[in-house]
Amino acid sequence: MRLPRVLRTTPFRLTLLFLALFAAAACAFLAYIYLATAGEVTRRADSQVKAEMRSLEAVYARGGFAALNQAVIERSSSDHVLVYLLMDPAGHPVSGSIGVSPVKHRDRDEVWASFTLTETNPDGAVVRLPARGLQEKMPGGEFMFVGADVGEAEGFVVRILRAIWGAGALIIVLGLAGGIVVSRDVNRSMASLIDVIDAARGGDLGARAKVRGAGDEYDELASGLNDMLERLERSIGGLRHAGDAIAHDLRSPLTRLRARLEAAMIEADAGRADPKAALHQALEDADGVLRTFSAVLAIARLEAAGVAPGQALFDPGLLAADIIELYEPLAEEKGLDFRAELTPSLSMKGNREFLAQALSNILDNAIKYTPTGGAVMLRVRRRSSGDIEMSVTDTGPGIDAADRERVIERFVRLEHSRSLPGVGLGLSLVAAVARSHHGHLELDEGPGGAGGPGLRVALVLPKVG
Amino acid sequence: MRVLIVEDDLEAAAAMTRGLAEAGHDCRTAADGELGLAATASEPFDVLVVDRMMPRLDGVSMVERLRASGDQTPVLFLSALGEINDRVSGLKAGGDDYLVKPYAFAELIARIEALARRRETGSVQTVLKVGDLEMDLLGREVRRAGQEIDLQPREFQLLEFLMRNAGQSVTRTMLLEKVWEYHFDPQTNVIDVHISRLRAKIDKGFDRAMLQTVRGAGYRLEA
Repeated sequence: MRLPRVLRTTPFRLTLLFLALFAAAACAFLAYIYLATAGEVTRRADSQVKAEMRSLEAVYARGGFAALNQAVIERSSSDHVLVYLLMDPAGHPVSGSIGVSPVKHRDRDEVWASFTLTETNPDGAVVRLPARGLQEKMPGGEFMFVGADVGEAEGFVVRILRAIWGAGALIIVLGLAGGIVVSRDVNRSMASLIDVIDAARGGDLGARAKVRGAGDEYDELASGLNDMLERLERSIGGLRHAGDAIAHDLRSPLTRLRARLEAAMIEADAGRADPKAALHQALEDADGVLRTFSAVLAIARLEAAGVAPGQALFDPGLLAADIIELYEPLAEEKGLDFRAELTPSLSMKGNREFLAQALSNILDNAIKYTPTGGAVMLRVRRRSSGDIEMSVTDTGPGIDAADRERVIERFVRLEHSRSLPGVGLGLSLVAAVARSHHGHLELDEGPGGAGGPGLRVALVLPKVG
Repeated sequence: MRVLIVEDDLEAAAAMTRGLAEAGHDCRTAADGELGLAATASEPFDVLVVDRMMPRLDGVSMVERLRASGDQTPVLFLSALGEINDRVSGLKAGGDDYLVKPYAFAELIARIEALARRRETGSVQTVLKVGDLEMDLLGREVRRAGQEIDLQPREFQLLEFLMRNAGQSVTRTMLLEKVWEYHFDPQTNVIDVHISRLRAKIDKGFDRAMLQTVRGAGYRLEA
């Protein structure tokens, strides 16, 4: 049989554990009280008996046996709480309130004993009371016994014991009730989280846990869960978006490829054209499709990863110098005025390969779209904010202000960007690389020139630390 | 040259075998890592072409075991995974080169031949000689027919790679990877401009052009 849910929760189990610990502590405490109290009762009886014995000894010292006998008779008959017995040296009772000494020994001077007093109440009932007494040998050889009834004190101890049992039961009942209440409360808090997890497991990533605003650990858990779901939803949304974009961007070139092959087949059948040329063209088309595919995939992977992997510290100026070295002959061949301004000894953190590709794409576009006689300038510097800026400015046709925003969108529809002058598929990848480094891409108008308003593309990456 | 193709896609393996046979190479195929190891144990090969993702024993594990057994046959990994980390893990396992699918045939053949050749010229050379072209690796000097040629550092590296692979096609991607160490595909063929600059320096004034363009493949330095 399974326990009810409330009794299976962690808080309830914790309650049981603490209850057991607390009960053990309480037992130890009460046991100490019991021992201390019981001991105290005995001690008090003993000291009372001892004091009485001293006073009787004093009487004996002053008046001898006769005076002691007189005192014992007096004290026994009065309504005294103590009991007395005076015996001659042979141990025969002489006077006192009890008939026989509870102490059988006659060999020692001082003997303590616990015994039971039997009393008859006025109603005739016989009561047996616990008692303690001291027997002493007087200088004359007589024995004097004084005892005290400790029954009343014992009753006190019994009451304490009863209280201990009662308190124990109360602790257990209250503890269990408290445990159930606490675990019910925890259960209620957890239930909303569990509902959200169940919903997410069922495919509903839009479900969110309620944050009560108490700022406790449940709120922390709930907001953590919500945050996780948020990211998951965004990343899955990004992948879906990327899937749509891939389908969209590959469909048209594939359609073109297919049409070209079909036309070539018809022409080859009719013996009108050489299929070799068509095959060659088809191969080039296929390569184009693959390039698009790789670029879209690279963007999608960066978007899905969120943060570029394999980041390391490096000097962006050196990275730019390498890219310049790669592109400088191309710019020269095209008759462009290609310059660079690199701030030395900067440091930044990033994925070198991705950033090299990003800068290469920007530079490639600038060289491609700037007409002969124009100028291209690559600049690497540190902004006053500490951010690292790698920018390429050209005197080409530029991009309309209205279209600039679109290029920096989260996932650019490649068909749009391809239709923009001066922007290839590359800029979408550059934007994705920037985002994966917590940076961004800025597009501005260039300095202007014969070729158009020009374009300034800046890759802005956050400073280290 | 004897090439072992370890690839679970039998159609792709058959196409590769045809293409390599066309280029004059002798191919065997194995459908997974286990069979690949068995094949390398039974006969020697000049180059192994290993697909990364295969049933039973994957390519990386296969090459790790191969290297552990002391076999140093050059390995070219083929993979649909093109991320930097995938490439690094492939090379770490003992691969010598890495080609991402899909690839052009010319690229595959050029890389296989470069791997086989690297094995032949394993000894450390200080002077490279191709025809009347001479490169002194220590003195950083290049001469053609005794006439000194002044090269930029990168042009020197480019020519060194071409000379080490003389007589064989090298692709633009190979040059970008081995000389510039970039693993991405620039939108424009920047390499062509570098080659034409180099060509102007080593071939200008000579009757015979050594640095040739191979249509559909890349470049080749001929003696």
